[in-house]
This record gives sequence, structure tokens and C-alpha cells, in this order.
Amino acid sequence: MNKFNRFLEEKVMPVAAKIGGQRHLLALRDGIIATMPFIVIGSFFMILANLPIPGYADWMTSIFGPTWSAKLNYPVDATFNIMSLIASFAVAYRLAETYKVDAMSAGTISVAAFLLSTPFSFNFTPVDAETGVMVTGAISKAFLSSKGLFVALLIGILSTEIYRWVVKRNIVIKLPSSVPSSVGKSFAALIPGFLVLFVIWVIRLLVELTPYENINNLFMTVLGEPLKLVGLTLGGTIVAELFVTILWACGLHGTNIVKGVMEPIWYGAMGDNMTAYQAHEPLPHIVTQQFFDNFIHIGGTGVTFGLVLSMVLFAKSQQMKQLGRLTLAPGIFNINEPVIFGLPIVLNPIMIIPFVLTSIVTVIVTFLGMDMGLVAKPVGIAVPWTMPPVISGYLASGGHLSGAVMNIVNILISFFIYLPFFKIYDRAKKREEDAMNAAELKENIL
Amino acid sequence: MNILLCCAAGMSTSLLVSKMEKAAQEQGIDAKIWAVASNQVNLNIDEADVLLLGPQVRFLLPKMKQLGEEKGIPVDAINPVHYGMCNGQEVLKTAINMIDNNK
Repeated sequence: MNKFNRFLEEKVMPVAAKIGGQRHLLALRDGIIATMPFIVIGSFFMILANLPIPGYADWMTSIFGPTWSAKLNYPVDATFNIMSLIASFAVAYRLAETYKVDAMSAGTISVAAFLLSTPFSFNFTPVDAETGVMVTGAISKAFLSSKGLFVALLIGILSTEIYRWVVKRNIVIKLPSSVPSSVGKSFAALIPGFLVLFVIWVIRLLVELTPYENINNLFMTVLGEPLKLVGLTLGGTIVAELFVTILWACGLHGTNIVKGVMEPIWYGAMGDNMTAYQAHEPLPHIVTQQFFDNFIHIGGTGVTFGLVLSMVLFAKSQQMKQLGRLTLAPGIFNINEPVIFGLPIVLNPIMIIPFVLTSIVTVIVTFLGMDMGLVAKPVGIAVPWTMPPVISGYLASGGHLSGAVMNIVNILISFFIYLPFFKIYDRAKKREEDAMNAAELKENIL
Repeated sequence: MNILLCCAAGMSTSLLVSKMEKAAQEQGIDAKIWAVASNQVNLNIDEADVLLLGPQVRFLLPKMKQLGEEKGIPVDAINPVHYGMCNGQEVLKTAINMIDNNK
């Protein structure tokens, strides 16, 4: 047991610390977090456009006319569907901050660079036509939505690296000190901005010579699709969740660390599902951000909701009884740090076993349930991770009862896996307490 | 005194905040205690006298310590046991000690 703990402390911790503190990954994560409020606002309108109440659509049509649903989608297009544009600014802004160079300039340059990589024309097939026509002077919204996320993030990082390189070498236009500083700053961005855009422009011209036609296509084919293939399979999901739980078992925020790497994939998948849902087409992915937030991490990472229930219902030791009372309310909102550090699960082999096991089993069961069509897939509506279970599964699946039932099934799985381990641990705690009480009693008598 | 706590989203540390506020009130200590997400720290650190990290984000400690040094305030991770049991009293004591030692 000590060997196991030492291994975690000495081998896993330093690596996790490196990944968790790595500036590009931190910037990626923060860049995506910046899109979150917009995605939630967009999701709100999406729910309104798709309320799963019989007769709702007819009723809305009778009041607002047949275009009501399209109108409710206006805000969705300006929030959810520009997530790449927002991310391209935010990732550059955050990365520039860590280098202590002007974040605003880096952010705005990154937006320009991202748009420069995007064709301002696309092939459009009119409703009744057989062949498409090339439309110029317009950007396909697909490029700004989740489909463009990889390009936005990578160009954001590339452009900020170029920007920093130029600024740190002092190749900037310096104005006399009598010029106001904000004016000076905008000039200071001129040379680095020019260089960034020049580089992206050249890349675009080169890519246009290839059969990929544009940077977006190139990234999606060479990088995006293979990454999705690996990251969104059952195997890939299990490996990711294994990392998450083992990091938490070391007392580190595994969800956050793994997100830095996986979030572009999971968010991209969420966006793909949302686009399909909006168009009333079959959903392409099972694993999205919500697969974890609203189906797996019930009560928090490690599906600890069942553990909290066993604590509340069966604890014999004072310590566990008290912890059960303390952790129930946060657990309902999927916050479980008190369980992880209070029980503790951290560096506690007897509890690490069910912690990892429950996560993997629920991932497998949920994935297979959705794959076989028994459970509705997450539709891409961003339900906050703090949404209480059962409601969250219902909402994330676009108002399907099977989503709520899946939540209940996972709670039961977690309860029955944790219970025997918890009982062993609780008995040991009880013995400790009894021994302490007996010793105290003895002292009092003597 | 101003005590700033931080974790990944500022959620679980906010549980601790309410316990610490209660402990401060009982001891008659006038303290402003608040919790933020780790990426919000640089916007809040100017008002803080001490910065405490949730143990789950202690991989950010070197970065935060550097930030604390620039601002001249002490930075440390919270004891995991105190954190898990939401022991506001002990964490408050740690924070006060850190501020005192910094003077």
C-alpha cells in the first residue's frame, strides 16, 4: 500500500503537475471556457425551440406563425455557432497574458488570423437545385461553429507565439513618450500583426494549391477527424476517464487536467450534435462534453453520489455519519471535493478501487446504452455540470425520459459498487473510534 | 484582512468560505473571505492579503507563488484533511498565521 502511494506521489504527481500547469494547455482550456456562457445562453433558446411537450409546436405556430422556430434560432447562431470565433480571441488573450505581452492586441490579431484562414466563399446548393453554386462574399457559419474549433485554437496559439517572438525581440514601432500609451500600443501591434497575418496568408496560399482547398479542410482531415476517431470511441473514453480518476486519486483535479487535452474534441462533438439536432438529423456522436458532465460525473467525478448515499444510509462510525451529512447537499450539485478529501479517497487504496471501477463501469454501460439506441444521446444542449442528476440527464438528452433513467441506473451502479468497500472502511473507522472511546473511559475510571 | 481562496471553478472552495466566515464571526475577526476560479485569480489578487489554493489545484502552486511574490502576499495550498472536512476554523487559523508571518 505504501509502495502504491509512493508511486502516485513520486511518479504520477510531477507529470500531472507539468501537464496541469502547461501554459498552452491552460490557454486552450481558458479559451474554451470563455465560450461557455454563450453556449449556455444559446442552449436556453435551443431548449425553447425544441420543448418536448406534445402540441407545443402547433401552439407556438398558432401564436407566432410558422417561422417561430427559425426565429428562436437567431440567438443560437450568434452564440453557439460562433464559438470558434470567441475561442480564437480568448485562447490568444490568455496565452499572451502568461507571456506578459499585450493580451488585447494578441487577441484581436488572432481573430484576424483565424478569419484569414477561412474562405469567404462556399458551395451552396439551393433547395430545388441539383448542383451547388459558389457563393462569394459570405462565410459559411460552419467555419465559425464547432467545425472551426481546431483551426481557431491552433491559429490562436501559433499567432500568439509569433506575436510574442516579435515583441520580445523588440521589433516594434516605438513612438515618442509624448504619445498617449493606448495610441502607442496600437502601433506596437503593427509589425507583429503584419508578420502573423503574412505567415497565415502564405500558409493559406500553399494549402490552396493542395486538394484540401482550405486550411479548415486540411486540419479537419489530417488532425480533427483522426483525433475524434480516437477520442470519441469507447476505448478512448475509458482511457480518458481512467486518467481523470487516477489523477483525482492523487488529489489533483483530474477533470481539469485532462480537459486541457480532450476539451477541443468533446466540445467539437457537442457542436456537431447540436448542429444535427437543429437540423433534425441523426446525432453523430455519443461522447460529448455532456456525456461526462451530465451522465457520468453524477455527484462529481467517480460517480460518488452512490457513495454519499451509502454514507447517509449505512454509516456506523461517527466520522462517516458526519461526512455523509456534510457531503449530501454539495453532492446533489455534483460537487464532491469534501468526499474526495474528507473520506478521503485520495491515496486511500480501499476507496480508490471503487472510485475507478464505478467510473469505468458507468462509462461502458452509458456508452453501450446509447449505442444500442436504448438511451437518447446528448443533443448538444449545454446543461451546466452543476445541474442535479436525473434532471440533467433529461435536459441533456433533449427531454427524453431515457436520459433521466440512465442517470438513475448509474446512481444504482455506483451505490452497489461503493457499498461493500465503504462498509469495510466504515467498520475500520468504527473500530478506531471504539478503541479511542474505551481508552478514554479507562483513563476516566483510573 | 482579506483572504482569497481558489480552486478549479471556485465552487467547492466556496463551501469552505461560508465555514470560514462563520468561524471568523464567532471569534470576532473582521475578515473578507471569497473564492474564485483559478483563471480569475489575477483579477482578484490585488485585494487579497493571502491566497490559499484548494489541494486539487496545487499543481498551480509554483505559478501562483510567483504571482504572490510579485504582489508581496503569501500563497499556499490548503491542508487536504482540513479541506475535505470543510474545517473553516483551522483554515482560517492557517490564513491568519500566514498573514502574520508575512508582516
